[in-house]
Amino acid sequence: MKNNTLGVIFASDSESHLNDLTLNRTTASLPFAGRYRLIDFVLSNFVEANITTIGIVAKNNYSSLMDHIRMGRDWNLNRKNSGIAVFPPFVLNSSHDIYKGKIEALYSLRNFMLNNKEEYVVITNSNIAFNIDFEDVEQFHLEKGADITVLTYKTTEINPRKHVVSVDKNDRITDIRYPIASDPEEQLANLNIYFIKKDLLISLIDNAYAHGAYDFEREILQKELDNLYIMSYQVKNYVAVIDRIHAYYKHSMDLLDPKIREDLFFGHSTILTKVKDSVPTKYMDGAVVKNSMIADGCEIDGTVENSILFRSVKVQKGAVIKNSIIMESGIIMENAKLNYIISDKKVIVQTGRELSGSENYPIVIVKGRVV
Amino acid sequence: MNLVKKECLAMLLAGGQGTRLGVLTNDVAKPAVPFGAKYRIIDFPLSNCVNSGIDTIGVLTQYRPFELHQYIGNGQPWDLDRLNGGIYVLPPFMRAKSGEWYKGTANAIFQNIDFIDRYNPEYVVLLSGDHIYKMDYAAMLDVHKKQHADCTIAVLDVPIEEASRFGIMNLNEKGEIYEFEEKPKQPKSTKASMGIYIFTWEKLRKYLIEDEADKTSENDFGKNIIPKMLADNQKMIAYQFDGYWKDVGTISSLWEANMDILHGNGGLNLEDEKWKIYCRNTAQPPHYISDSAEVKTSLVTEGAMIYGTVKNSVLFGSVTIGKNAYVEGSIIMPNAVIEEGADVRYSIVGWNAVVGKNAKVGETQPPSKPGDWKISVIAPDYKVKAGTVVPANQMIGG
Repeated sequence: MKNNTLGVIFASDSESHLNDLTLNRTTASLPFAGRYRLIDFVLSNFVEANITTIGIVAKNNYSSLMDHIRMGRDWNLNRKNSGIAVFPPFVLNSSHDIYKGKIEALYSLRNFMLNNKEEYVVITNSNIAFNIDFEDVEQFHLEKGADITVLTYKTTEINPRKHVVSVDKNDRITDIRYPIASDPEEQLANLNIYFIKKDLLISLIDNAYAHGAYDFEREILQKELDNLYIMSYQVKNYVAVIDRIHAYYKHSMDLLDPKIREDLFFGHSTILTKVKDSVPTKYMDGAVVKNSMIADGCEIDGTVENSILFRSVKVQKGAVIKNSIIMESGIIMENAKLNYIISDKKVIVQTGRELSGSENYPIVIVKGRVV
Repeated sequence: MNLVKKECLAMLLAGGQGTRLGVLTNDVAKPAVPFGAKYRIIDFPLSNCVNSGIDTIGVLTQYRPFELHQYIGNGQPWDLDRLNGGIYVLPPFMRAKSGEWYKGTANAIFQNIDFIDRYNPEYVVLLSGDHIYKMDYAAMLDVHKKQHADCTIAVLDVPIEEASRFGIMNLNEKGEIYEFEEKPKQPKSTKASMGIYIFTWEKLRKYLIEDEADKTSENDFGKNIIPKMLADNQKMIAYQFDGYWKDVGTISSLWEANMDILHGNGGLNLEDEKWKIYCRNTAQPPHYISDSAEVKTSLVTEGAMIYGTVKNSVLFGSVTIGKNAYVEGSIIMPNAVIEEGADVRYSIVGWNAVVGKNAKVGETQPPSKPGDWKISVIAPDYKVKAGTVVPANQMIGG
């Protein structure tokens, strides 16, 4: 069915601190789950809900993102009507800097939003892996008569940059703020996805921009709690917010749980990604693989346990990989041993090298390094 | 109405039933049969075309075409969704006064003369959809052009003792074909036709029209067109090919070709980045190997879930191998499920088929001598009931 909502995706966000993993890429293009990039999850959920007019706001380091998205063909978004538009960084008239926050970024998308006929807008970060039904979100928004619907989720992964949310018994948001020390361990947190009528969004943005505001959560959500009907739509499905290296590690390892895998990949939406035409993975005589997720194009002649191998990883004879994530085209040479490692794309670990991090502090090997 | 002129286009014969593949081709045409863990047979000639720079392809379908039509779609996976050219499926169709099935390979092309004429090509490459190989048709076309040939036929050397299973080309010292013998009892040469032809279109067009007018003709390339052109002393040359090539028209050759890919026999290199084989992707997550699994010397692809033991096997997308199941020397096609404790050896399990708990399928011992395969086949969508025993060399279901 046709959808009356357009999507706006932020390729980077101010909440995530992924350090070495986003040195040369946006959060949106961070590789995740063996063959995907983070933005695939939001995009696929949009496409499944027929949200096909999509603007992606890129801030910096977006070449990997452009290469991934191209014309949106792999998500069936190369449409005549609607489709995908990437907005690279720009300089606003009023400042000499690129935009500071969501308000300025959304202000720059004013024409994009106005020129498309959809009446609603869904705004989202791209650092979330989940599989949900956005049509249900829209229905909730309409049924509740909400002005703004904020997607929320229960989590114990609270950090100082994450907004926690309080709601009344009708799911209306009564407070949205940064966490404090006395908060309980598990809290309702802001997923940074907002569903809102386009006209209202534009008037809020215009007004905030005119006042020099740039922080959407502080200057719009917090300020308007009493004036607007701001509702919480709690996502009950599996949600992975990748905002810290530890979260990246933990949620990657979650994928080895069949229930989570089922929820994330075989739930509401089909998760689509750029197709690379890799060959099937080849297990050799020396392969000993347990509890691992393996993408296509690998060649495995060593031991792999509790790990995730991305496409085209080579594990040579005698190599032992445990509790690790090896991104695309990694080569782990003979008798090398890795434990609690996140190795970025095209890393080579030479013969006999041994590296070990710990569960709470996995070691990141930067893209292209030879160890 | 002329479209943009193409120097060379390809016509791919994909209408055959492939009766020797038995239950595997009950509901789909042979070129749509899965191959090599994530491909279909037709991916090989299609990818060869694209890698050779041929961007206009007519696929002639007739037998059970739906699966094939759906698989090809708009040609996007092979980069064949083009503004000019691209891929066209060409089933038989009704005309103003009549309409008929494709009577033979030559008749199939004859019925599509109008399609080819629209692109006004100099050359037409004729391919079939049942061979596994990687080949640069552009290099073959170069030879065809340099020699000013009317027809160039790709050949490869086969052992003399097997030559009587093939169409054999007898060549003179200049590499010209002076005689063609279909499955000769006393082969004079070892040059077997690979079923890959390049014709100068003007010539072929004339022969197709003449052949159609000849009521005694079977309208077949091998039986009629090629012999007629030879009899008329047209310039027909052989193009020697030395790489891997396999006709996968039988159960045992299909099984063997899958094993060749797995073991790297014969030198077909799927990994070559410069000559990728493209296929339609099914959007599945990476495969999962559980704590209880053991996988050795096998090919595995996206969507598979493995809890049991897998050896010397080729596993397609989204297969499930249950706990304590044992799979050896087998080909498990997409979405098939091998339930807990089942034992599958030297078999082909069709797509969506289920081998029930503790069932036993296939030969329990490896063959006594190579080539002596006793492959059992479970039909697509068929369910082998729990505890059933399917002996070697059986074809079940369908």
